[in-house]
This record gives sequence, structure tokens and C-alpha cells, in this order.
Amino acid sequence: MNWDWEKLQKQQQGRPGGKPPSFDDFQDQFDKFKKFKLPGWKLIIPLIFLLWIASGFYIVEPDEVGVVKQFGQFLRITTAGPNYHIPFPVQSVLTPKVTQIRRIEFGFRSVGRARTQNFQQGASREVKEESLMLTGDENILSVQFIVQYMIKDAENYLFNVNDPEQTLAHAGEAAMREIIGKGKIDAALTTGKQEIQVETRILMQEILDKYETGLSVVAVQMQNVHPPDDVIDAFKDVASAREDKSRFINEAEAYQRDILPKARGEAARIVNAAQAYREAKVRKAEGDAARFLSVLAEYNKAKDITRRRLYIETMEQIFANPEVEKLIMSDDALKKSVPYLPLEKLPKRAPKAQQ
Amino acid sequence: MKKRTIVLLIAVVIGLFVLASAAFTVDQTQKAIVIQLGRPVGSKELGPGLHFKLPLVQNVVFFDARILDFDANPEEITTTDKKYMEVDSYTKWRIVDPLTFYTKVRTIQGARARLDDIVRSQLRVALGRYTLIEVVSHKRKEIMGAVTTRSAELLASYGIEVIDVRIKRTDLPAENERSIFGRMKAERERQAKQYRSEGREASARLIATADKERSIILADANKQAEIVRGEGDGLATKIYADALGQSPEFYAFTRSLEAYRKGFDANSRFILTPKSPFLDYMQ
Repeated sequence: MNWDWEKLQKQQQGRPGGKPPSFDDFQDQFDKFKKFKLPGWKLIIPLIFLLWIASGFYIVEPDEVGVVKQFGQFLRITTAGPNYHIPFPVQSVLTPKVTQIRRIEFGFRSVGRARTQNFQQGASREVKEESLMLTGDENILSVQFIVQYMIKDAENYLFNVNDPEQTLAHAGEAAMREIIGKGKIDAALTTGKQEIQVETRILMQEILDKYETGLSVVAVQMQNVHPPDDVIDAFKDVASAREDKSRFINEAEAYQRDILPKARGEAARIVNAAQAYREAKVRKAEGDAARFLSVLAEYNKAKDITRRRLYIETMEQIFANPEVEKLIMSDDALKKSVPYLPLEKLPKRAPKAQQ
Repeated sequence: MKKRTIVLLIAVVIGLFVLASAAFTVDQTQKAIVIQLGRPVGSKELGPGLHFKLPLVQNVVFFDARILDFDANPEEITTTDKKYMEVDSYTKWRIVDPLTFYTKVRTIQGARARLDDIVRSQLRVALGRYTLIEVVSHKRKEIMGAVTTRSAELLASYGIEVIDVRIKRTDLPAENERSIFGRMKAERERQAKQYRSEGREASARLIATADKERSIILADANKQAEIVRGEGDGLATKIYADALGQSPEFYAFTRSLEAYRKGFDANSRFILTPKSPFLDYMQ
């Protein structure tokens, strides 16, 4: 500064004031004016002064801090409760809400909702120019996410950056794209989300700290991450192909689990049948043998007669059947008359139904 | 007495008026320089607080002391692998030397024009050295760092500090996007096919194994069954042989008789001669 305020003041005070050309006229008028105004004078001046003093009181809510400026310059931070500052134009106060968690949407906008209010899934509209991003394996992905943030340093927030919210929005877009750009599409679609959220939050915070925005990123949350509309069917088909794969395998396993026990049952049946056969066969042989031996024992005692008896009994049994045809011929007759026996012409046995 | 009061009052009023036109405040978010008849006064800018100037002959120019945003329009850039990409960047900058700033670019609008020129060309230069995928992926930070440093150097002479040049979006032109979509689709179709055929393969394998196992189980069972049957037959034969061996002659006799009994039924026809032992007593 190359001029001196105090000198100026002195100059003005030391000026031969109070002797303007028509001072007497002016004083007359002033007196009249004074007389006219006088009744309220003594009351109004202190009242205005009191009001002015009172305008310095302000209350800082629990979720706010008070930032006091003196002639525009940052002076101090006040905390919750009633406070006082020297009234306008000397000091002024700003009360940003520092504990409030705000949110900002990327890649979509909730329909009919203010940005700072709670998110409601469903009623949203995609903003493609924000949501579509390139991945590190040269694919395109649609990422919708929100960032929750709060003011961590009111002084920086108010004075350091022109439009901190806009800065946050830019930083969020840049950070998410950088992180998505490093990764592969499958990671972002499936298991890598948590990691991406954390990395994005850290990167965003780094950027915001670099600009000294006074903002703190509380959380980055990916909402809807999906392939772009043009290819979503192909992606869905991959998912159903994966399902098909396990379905095929399950079906085959079901088949396996169906036929193998059946086969084992069948095997047991076959083996048991064979064992039954063996046992039956052996037992029958034993029975037959025992029977034979018993008869043999008796036979040995009286061979001839037993032989004879058995023969006759057998023949009796055979001939006892009335349907067995019997023909008795002498040897001579047989020799003479039947050199040829017309077997076909002999009477056949009549069918049983006609008997 | 009265006269003195009035004089004082007028002096105060005039004083206040002069004060009001001489005093000015600079906000925490601002910087200011004082211009006297077109020439900057003093060598330093004024920070936040209360300041004074000479009325009428001096005037104050305010500058934003905060970090300012320059959001460039998206721009098509060619990468070293001859691919086109649309790069949307923003620049964070600040007026650090208002005097220089005032004399060289004067306004924020003017500064934007310079920023646009310099940042744009620096981005072009830096991005032209890398392939598309490098830009998107692992070289991004490096590129942004280089552009920031270079732009900061070039813009320092304007009283501007470039704090950060950051690539916000890297998009592909519509045609490239379509071909990427095509490729993504093809990749996924391939993957889907692979999953399905893997499923079929595993399924066929399982079914074949199961069929094989079933065959083996049944064959084993049949084999065992034959062995068991053989055992039975063998044992039975032995038992028969042991018993019947005691009198083969009697066995032949009784067994023959039994065979006659079973063998000659209703359809049999006998021609007997009197010599038949059965008829011994008929004569």
C-alpha cells in the first residue's frame, strides 16, 4: 500500500470544516428538522443499536459447526450451542452441516428423489454416459454406484474449492473408471466388487485430499453392475449355460444313482438264485442218495424177490393206465403175420373229449 | 456547543462515506489487487480481510482464490495402435499470481481458453504414445501425471497453477463400441457353448461309467452264480456217485423201472408176446 489511511484521517479531521458558505441557512433548516424529529430520537437510536447488537447471536445446531469470518477472512470455528459474533458488517457466520452424510449417484438417478435422501431401489433411470466404462480387458461395463460423503473440514470445504460437490462428482467418475479400467470384466461382475469399492474409495479420498476439498468419502457402494444392454442377453445365456452344465451333470449323477443300486440288487438276486439252486441240488442229491441207500439195504437182504416185486409193480402201474394200449401176440404169429406193422393205420387213441 | 456537535456530526458522516468508499473486504475465497488508473499498485495481492484504497483513483479487482474447475469437452484422440477414443478430462487449477494473471489473461474466461489449448495438446501428445488398453488400464496414472506436470510448467507463466489433470471418461466412438459389443457377445457365446459341452461331456462320462459299472456288477454276479451252481452240481454228482456206486446194478434196475413208469404214458402201445416175463403166469 502506498498510501496512508491515518494521514488521510488526520487530513480530513484537520480540515477547516464547519465553515461552508451557507452554513447559517443550513443550520436553520437543520434546527427545524431536529425539532420535528426530536420526540423519537432518544428511543430509536438505542433501539436500533440494540437490535444490531442482538443480530450477532446465532445458534449452531448439533450437526453443524459455525465458521466465523471477520471482514471476509476466516476467523474461528465455533461448536454447537448459542454463540455470538460481532454483527454485520464486521463478522458473519456460516453453518455447514458437518455430521450429515450425503450421497451422490453415479450412472443413474433415482426418480423423484432428492440427491441427499435415502436411496430407494427400483425407481431409477440409467445415465449411460456416466455408467458405461471400459474395463482392462477391453470390454464395456455398466456400473451404477453411489458415494456417501461428509464434510470433514468445514474451513477447507467452504473456502478451498469452487463447488466441492462438483469436484466430488468428477473425482468419483475418474476414480471408478480408473479402478474398473485396471480390472477385468468378470471380477467387476462377480467377486471383485468389494475390492473395487474399497480401492475406489481410497483413490477418491486421495484425489479429494489433493484438492483439499474438506470432504471425506464415507463409502462407495456399487448398486447395479451389469453388461451393457446390447450384450446382456449373451451374458445371461452364459449364466444359464453354467446352470445347464450343472444340470446335465446332476441328471447324469441321478442316472448313476438310479441304475447302480438297481444293478447291485439284481446281482444279489442272481447270486442268491444260484445259491438256492446249489442248495436245492445238493439236498435233492442227498435225499435221493439216502432213499437209494435205504432201498438198497433192503434189496441186498432179499435180492430176487425184491427185484421181482419191483418189476411187477412197475409193469402193473404202466399197464394199469387204461389208455395204454396192450396187444398180446404169440411169437409165431408175430413172426408170420407182422413182418410189416402199419403203424399209421392202427387206431389212434381217441381225443379225451370224445370218451 | 450546538454548532460543534453539528460540525462533528457532519464530519462523521463524511468520514463514514469516505471510509465506505475506501474500505473493501476480501473474502476468504478471494484474492484482490488494487489498480490505480490502469496500473497495478504494489507487487503483492491482497489476502482475505479488510483493506483500504484511495477512493476514485484506485479500484479493486477480485480473483477467485479457490481451486477452480475446467471441464473440457470430450475429445477424440488417436492412440498409438491407431484406435480412436473419446477422452473427457477435467483440470483443477488455481490463480496463484493474480498480478501476472491479470496482465496476461485477465479473466477466468481467458484462462479457460489457455487451459483448453495447453491441456488439450498435452493430452493429445501423451495419449498418442500409448495403446488404447494402456490408456484405459495401467498407464492411466502415469499419463495423467505427465500431462499435469507438463501443463503446470507451461501455465506457470500465466500465474496459473495446474493442480491436477485427470481423465474422467475414456469412451469409444460408437462404431468401436459396436465392434466391442460384437466381440463381447461372441466371447460369451463361446463361453456358453463351452459350458454346455463341458456339461454334456461330464454327463456322458458319468452315464458311461455308470453303465460300465452296472455291466460289471451283473457280470460278476453271473459269474459267481455259475460258480455256485457248478458247486451244487458237482456236490450233487459226488453224492449220487457215492451212493449209487454201492450198487450200480441195482441202480440201473430201479432207475430203468422208474424211467419205464415215466416214459410210457397213455400214448404208448405195447405188443407183448407170451414169452414176456410179465406174462409168465398167463400161460
